[in-house]
Amino acid sequence: MKFISTIALQTSRNLQKTWPTQFMTLLTVSLSVLIFSFFFLIYTNMINTGEKLGDDLRLTIYLEEEPVLEMQAQLVRKIINFSPVEEIRFTSRNDAFKRLAIQLGDNVDVLDDLDASFLPPSIEIYPKKSLNTLAQIQRFSEYLSTLPGAIKVQYGQEWIERFNYFTKLLRIIVVLSGILLIMTATFMVAYTIRLAVVARQAELEILRLLGATNNYIRTPFLIEGFLQGLFGSSLGLLALFFLYRWIQLRFTGPGILQLVDFTFFSPPIISIIVTASITLCIGGSFSSMRKFMRI
Amino acid sequence: METKPVNKPIIEIVRATKIYSPDVVALEDISLSVPAGEMLFLTGMSGAGKTTLLKLICGIEHPDKGLVEVAGKDLNRIKAKEIPWLRQQIGMAYQDFKLLADRTVAQNISMAMEVAYHNIRAIKSRVIELLQKLRLEHKHDALAGRLSRGEQQRVAIARAVANSPRLILADEPTGNLDSKTTKLVMELFEDCNISGTTVIIATHDNDIYRDADYRVLELHSGRFLPQADMTTSTSNNMP
Ligand SMILES: Nc1ncnc2c1ncn2[C@@H]1O[C@H](COP(=O)(O)OP(=O)(O)O)[C@@H](O)[C@H]1O
Ligand SMILES: [Mg+2]
Repeated sequence: MKFISTIALQTSRNLQKTWPTQFMTLLTVSLSVLIFSFFFLIYTNMINTGEKLGDDLRLTIYLEEEPVLEMQAQLVRKIINFSPVEEIRFTSRNDAFKRLAIQLGDNVDVLDDLDASFLPPSIEIYPKKSLNTLAQIQRFSEYLSTLPGAIKVQYGQEWIERFNYFTKLLRIIVVLSGILLIMTATFMVAYTIRLAVVARQAELEILRLLGATNNYIRTPFLIEGFLQGLFGSSLGLLALFFLYRWIQLRFTGPGILQLVDFTFFSPPIISIIVTASITLCIGGSFSSMRKFMRI
Repeated sequence: METKPVNKPIIEIVRATKIYSPDVVALEDISLSVPAGEMLFLTGMSGAGKTTLLKLICGIEHPDKGLVEVAGKDLNRIKAKEIPWLRQQIGMAYQDFKLLADRTVAQNISMAMEVAYHNIRAIKSRVIELLQKLRLEHKHDALAGRLSRGEQQRVAIARAVANSPRLILADEPTGNLDSKTTKLVMELFEDCNISGTTVIIATHDNDIYRDADYRVLELHSGRFLPQADMTTSTSNNMP
């Protein structure tokens, strides 16, 4: 108890003396948390969306001829041989025609003069979740196009490619802003603590002479680092939350965000970000103190 | 005078030499044994090595040769972790005071007790008690930098005494004081000594020990004068 109250007293004295620098550091830390978590939030939402799209990913093989039952069984065997699948569905010319009629709705009369034979029969394949990289799907689709009677294989290549490219780009941005966060948190805090140490050099030297332990000298600075991390990250996340609410309000109604189902971080992610920031700030403070302790 | 039982030495110095670079021999081949509870005076002209000897005892300076043992710890081999503990056992009033000019008198004195994690109320009452003894109660909240040298000196002494250390080292504690205040300070040291604290006072003011029969060691160019040497060797016959 005495330890805690003495250290608390020391810390509050420190903060009173150096609050302008402390405040600037706090702002820097929260700004970098904001930048990082902004990109990270977009990234996690992209990943979620990607997973959802992956759920109804399907490859469609268009065939020359309506396969007979025997042929169907052979095709299924060949497909499963290459890669396990969730489901294989055969669509005959007639089924395709009916589906098109349903899709046309009121305009169904355009089909009046047409015969079902103008639509090709097809096989729809729903791959297993394990088949999730673009390269794997590409290889699968190349294989499918070599099946006997296959004319064409479709799976929304362009869209997936673009999506993957964007996700990759975002991943790089997340990593870069993460590095920025690490640098600002560590270096800014280390720098502030260093300034505070220099400003209190005379006092710290006297404390040494009076028999202050390393813990007595160090703990207030570590607590400052802790507070920087805690309040800096909370402030950054709070700002991001308000930004998120604002975006939600602005873009409600039909549009991409509705489709994508934009969500905020879950509590575990929030606590991970806060804990990581605190750790970084304490680390920065610790490194400054270690330099001083060696002197 | 009744013969006191000779206590275990709290300070044991054997043939210590201190040379400041490049070639200032501040102390040469000094041996000294101080039993716990003794009050003794260290005299000698300015430059004789008094301050250096006190610094060796509290571990601020290290001997180039010889052994310095305080409270059973060999200061050459003491672990870094034990140094704070040792310094809390020693209250040193520095010749140059080493006060924080931008802190109040009370804060300056409190620091010595805060590092030992005393509780705040105990610190406050101890500070008031000491300021009263040294007639400084009206300066409780004054900034140390605004005080006269004589007042600063008393604050430095109060800080040295505050934590009730086992050993008090006072470096020229009365250098800036008039005879009345000198008496107050000496009374404070005597009180501490009566309650069992070892007190070493370095001074060139022979008025303050003239009438009492404390041990007086005289330094001259970094060596004890022969008569002082004898005293040292008799009290050196400890196991
Ligand atoms: N830090 C130092 N560097 C070099 N010489 C010093 C230092 N401190 C003291 N001295 C020298 O050591 C000698 C003893 O000094 P000191 O112990 O301060 O004597 P006193 O306290 O008796 O006046 C003096 O000659 C002084 O000039
Ligand atoms: Mg001196």
